[in-house]
Amino acid sequence: MDLTPAVTPGDRDECAAALADATGAGRSTRVVGGGSASHRGVPLTADQVLATAGLDRVVTYEPADLTLTVEGGVPAARVTELLAAHDQVWPQAAFRPGATVGGLLATADSTFSRLRWGPIRDSLLEVVIATGDGRLVRAGGRTVKGVAGYDLPRLVVGAHGTLGVLVEVTLKLWPAPAASGWYTLAGDAPTLVQAARTVTREVYRPGAVLLTPGALCVHLLGAADDVTAPAGMEATQGPPSPQWDATVQVGVSPAHIGDLVTLLAGHGDEYVAQAGVGICHVAVHDADDVDRVRALATGLGGHAYVTAGPPEVRRDPWGAPPPGIDVMRRMRRAFDPAAILNPGLAVWDAPGDRV
Amino acid sequence: MTTLAPGAADAFRTILGPERVLDAATERIIYARDGSIADGVCGLALLCETTDEVSRCMAAAHRMGVPVVPRGSGTGLCGGAVPLDGAVVLSVARMRRILEIDRDVPCAWVEPGVLNLDLTAAVAHLGLHYAPDPSSQAACSIGGNVATNAGGPHCLASGVTVQHVLGVELVLPDGEVLTIGGPAPDPPGCDLRGFIVGGEGTLGVVTKACVRLTRNPPAVRTMLFDFTTTHAAGACVVDIIGRGVIPAAMELMDSRMIDACEGFTGAGLPVDAAAVLLVEVDGTEADVAAQTDVAVAVARESGTRCVRIAQDEAERALLWKARKSAFGAVARVAPNYYLHDCVVPRTRLVEILDAIGEIARRHDLLVMNVFHAGDGNLHPLIAFDRRDAAQVDRVMAAGKDIVEACVAVGGVLTGEHGIGLEKRDYMPLTFGAVDLDAQACARAAFDPEGRMNPRKVLPMTARCGEAVLGPDSLPPGTWI
Repeated sequence: MDLTPAVTPGDRDECAAALADATGAGRSTRVVGGGSASHRGVPLTADQVLATAGLDRVVTYEPADLTLTVEGGVPAARVTELLAAHDQVWPQAAFRPGATVGGLLATADSTFSRLRWGPIRDSLLEVVIATGDGRLVRAGGRTVKGVAGYDLPRLVVGAHGTLGVLVEVTLKLWPAPAASGWYTLAGDAPTLVQAARTVTREVYRPGAVLLTPGALCVHLLGAADDVTAPAGMEATQGPPSPQWDATVQVGVSPAHIGDLVTLLAGHGDEYVAQAGVGICHVAVHDADDVDRVRALATGLGGHAYVTAGPPEVRRDPWGAPPPGIDVMRRMRRAFDPAAILNPGLAVWDAPGDRV
Repeated sequence: MTTLAPGAADAFRTILGPERVLDAATERIIYARDGSIADGVCGLALLCETTDEVSRCMAAAHRMGVPVVPRGSGTGLCGGAVPLDGAVVLSVARMRRILEIDRDVPCAWVEPGVLNLDLTAAVAHLGLHYAPDPSSQAACSIGGNVATNAGGPHCLASGVTVQHVLGVELVLPDGEVLTIGGPAPDPPGCDLRGFIVGGEGTLGVVTKACVRLTRNPPAVRTMLFDFTTTHAAGACVVDIIGRGVIPAAMELMDSRMIDACEGFTGAGLPVDAAAVLLVEVDGTEADVAAQTDVAVAVARESGTRCVRIAQDEAERALLWKARKSAFGAVARVAPNYYLHDCVVPRTRLVEILDAIGEIARRHDLLVMNVFHAGDGNLHPLIAFDRRDAAQVDRVMAAGKDIVEACVAVGGVLTGEHGIGLEKRDYMPLTFGAVDLDAQACARAAFDPEGRMNPRKVLPMTARCGEAVLGPDSLPPGTWI
């Protein structure tokens, strides 16, 4: 996508001012963090790019309180490094090379080991956003627990920056587990589905139970004595990290993940399915492929959307509008009244929705 | 008091029949209060039994422009279910069916009137439980838990209600029924589910919830440490977590509370201690052993006088009974209590306990403490007698001082009870006008007319562009 020119605010006030200007001028704005998730949504061009690279300060790190406050443009890798020095982790975030903290939150990109840690949205305690019309809005609180006011932090996680730019976030941290390890088992799909069911039932709180074509991968973490190979499995380096040109993320009830895997395997698809969670990433090759995988997902009561892929794959990236779409649209207008933020990136953002 | 539209009661009777629309003064008064000390005025109480009835009542209220206050068990502590100005109270307490249990997720679809503890009892035979466990869990409803994003002792490691609600069925203020979320994770769009949890009845009426069920841990160990100073107990909390152990629960009781609870339950609490810590760890046998070693070592370094480890399930249950009956036990001390709920950064626990003690002395009041120390969630409890008007004034003044002291050390207004009516006017202590206006706009995305649980959560100054509420809707000073 050819996008010019770029704005790189150096702090939150500059960010808010740039957005106020953009709203005043009706200039659509693509927000970019590390650029690691920029191939999603309806392929629409924006009038300008706003890069969060200048919002790169660590504000406060309180190891004893297990909280970290950083600006949204801080690379996630820097956070990992900072926490490692205190034997702590931000475990809910996916590993996405080059990603920023704000980018991971905006895309709600949760870790493979979500079965143990929960989704990334559970880690955001407080947020400051710069809204589309240039207000700086703070919500949540910096303590590890709190229910004061409406939960805007949860709303912005996964909103793809369409409610505002995440200029500052406070994250809930966890002590690093004493030990962790990955284990694998080879076999055909029915065997692996059965094995995954056994592991999720018999192992107490595994990190991840991943089904891929031909292999089951299990992540264990906790006390050293608990991190040993489950029966019949052998140690491996880490989770599968397939490189695909285009990816669909499917969500089904965890009760149906085995059915989904059976269907995908029958078609010869490549996939990484999270047993116990219900998320499955599937490699796709064209827009028809997206429709086919989506039909499987909806047939099982789930949904499917494109999380990466060239424009031609993203003909219909989101599928049918979800329940509550009108509330979401009103919410978007409340924060970005001129609808300048991230054209095409929100599920409700059909081109005709532009104000 | 707002006068309900003429014929309002009849309109609701057409939907619910004559028996389930309560308009006698003696009936309405029951629905004018909740577990807080606030008093309101209930115009009518509607006892709905199905989603369809809720939807039709909401549509009727929409047509007539009637404000609606949803209500579960009415055990809330922030005045969230207290109707102001004769609003209609819509009770979901009769919607008590567990609709579906799916052990392969595991999750359950339940109606909002199901009691928290009843759900856990219903899935116990599957080796499962519902994790959030407010002290009122035998009486509070899942719907109320969803409204307040309720917590409980075991939320330290397992998270509060929002982390256990996968989806909801919500009836919007105009009667439209939406199903938001469910067991399939991360549906497209922004996370309305997460926003609805904790919405305090201002966004609509939750008529079903899909809640995550949690496997019972293979091993549990419950320990009691006792200290001669609250400082030592507070330092112990910080150090246990500093050593990388997040217990399942970590509760602190001060000497006055120990005394009251021991008199009430006879659990063998050390009545001469300045503070006790109840620490529970769970997980695999190996994990529990490792966590226990750390907790005991830290407690000894912090100067605990003894280490009591529950030897069996009966002893564990007794220790928890002592903890969870704390609020009932206060009846031995004074006829009324005002239970606060603030959170401070864990590292500021010791100094805030000192500050609360000083506030109590300054206002000549009895303050008792029992709280979720692990996440810094304080519950200072002021025991008083509401027949003594001068004392009530001091209670309110001390409450304000406590909230301000918590905020001054970087705390937040509420950890798990909610804002409701009680803390609405404290919101500007931690949020600016721009922040509050933005919250008003987010609320208005669900309820453009501001008819749902009006004048709760946000101070009257918070506005979304044009006025959300009518000009005649000023606060009536019904608080206490």
